[in-house]
Amino acid sequence: MTHWTILLAAAEAAEAKGGLFDFDATLPIMALQFLILAVVLNALFYKPLGKAIDERDNYIRTTEKEARERLAKAETLAKQYEQELAQSRKQAQAVIAGAQAEGQKMASQQIAAAMQEAQAQREQAQKELDQQKQEVFRSLEQQVDTLSRQILQKLLGAELVS
Amino acid sequence: MIEVINAFNCLPLAELEVGKHFYWQVGNLNIHGQVVLTSWFVIALLVVASIVATRNIQKVPSGMQNFMEYALEFIRDLAKGQIGEKEYRPWVPFVGTLFLFIFVCNWSGALVPWKLIKIPGGELAAPTSDINTTVALALLTSLAYFYAGLSKRGLGYFSKYIQPTPILLPINILEDFTKPLSLSFRLFGNILADELVVGVFVLLVPLFIPLPVMILGLFTSAIQALIFATLAAVYIGEAIEGHGEEHHD
Repeated sequence: MTHWTILLAAAEAAEAKGGLFDFDATLPIMALQFLILAVVLNALFYKPLGKAIDERDNYIRTTEKEARERLAKAETLAKQYEQELAQSRKQAQAVIAGAQAEGQKMASQQIAAAMQEAQAQREQAQKELDQQKQEVFRSLEQQVDTLSRQILQKLLGAELVS
Repeated sequence: MIEVINAFNCLPLAELEVGKHFYWQVGNLNIHGQVVLTSWFVIALLVVASIVATRNIQKVPSGMQNFMEYALEFIRDLAKGQIGEKEYRPWVPFVGTLFLFIFVCNWSGALVPWKLIKIPGGELAAPTSDINTTVALALLTSLAYFYAGLSKRGLGYFSKYIQPTPILLPINILEDFTKPLSLSFRLFGNILADELVVGVFVLLVPLFIPLPVMILGLFTSAIQALIFATLAAVYIGEAIEGHGEEHHD
């Protein structure tokens, strides 16, 4: 504070013209210069750079929005694909199960048919066997007859027999 | 007290040349040549920086463009914070130029060794250490907030003078005078005092000792520029919005 008063006093004593609070035409000139500077800077600095900043902001905002939309779309697509995948997997399983059931059925049918056939063949063989047995028996009986007749002839003589 | 003054007079303190001016005579008008010269330097610096920054505007900024965009965003934030989101845009050039001009003036006074350039009478210094400059800027600020209020609210702007009660009318009118007065004297006093303190220190101890004071001076200079621009924005915002008479500094 003392410095200040001393300096003020010194300054005022120094010169009649001048001093710290010497208002003159510098004031309007500085005001004018400042206004011109504001106008010039507005054209050279604030407007173009402000435009650049706003444009960048816009660009970033729109790009971000787009990216977000794309992400959402991709997510819905992924969900859809997953659903489709699950569905087709279910379908495939159903198809496999159907095919298995069919195969099982066919196999059992064939087995049954084969068994039936085998049964039939066995029965036929049995029948043939029985037939042959009967034939054999019949021929055996005939032979028994002739043999017994011959025995009888031999024992009793030919004239007695007939 | 007188002994102190005498002691100071013995030192070569008078060589600080306080209050001496380099007069230009235009007609019968006097102009402080040293102020105008340094202000031209500051204006040229700002214009050149702007031209360099906007010469080749790119989407991804670098170098000077990046720096100036940082400055612009700072100014915009300042104006937005004080004037409001809706109204701040037309006032960015005014508030921003206030800030940049004062800031560059102050720092040029602190960083550029003006004293090495000899001129007849006075010495080159920061333009803001001359009362004419600061009063000019403060009066422009007054005009700006009057214009802002009148253009926004018409004659209803004057209703703010009787806003809380008509009793406060004289104080409200007085405020219109104290605002530019405090603005101009704050800036002028700070910058001049800073230069004088640095000058005195340099005279007494030429090496190293003045450095902390110089760094402090840089800090004050930046703060003063910020304060001037912020207060201008506050006044303009107040005039536009009309109900914010509570927050004065």
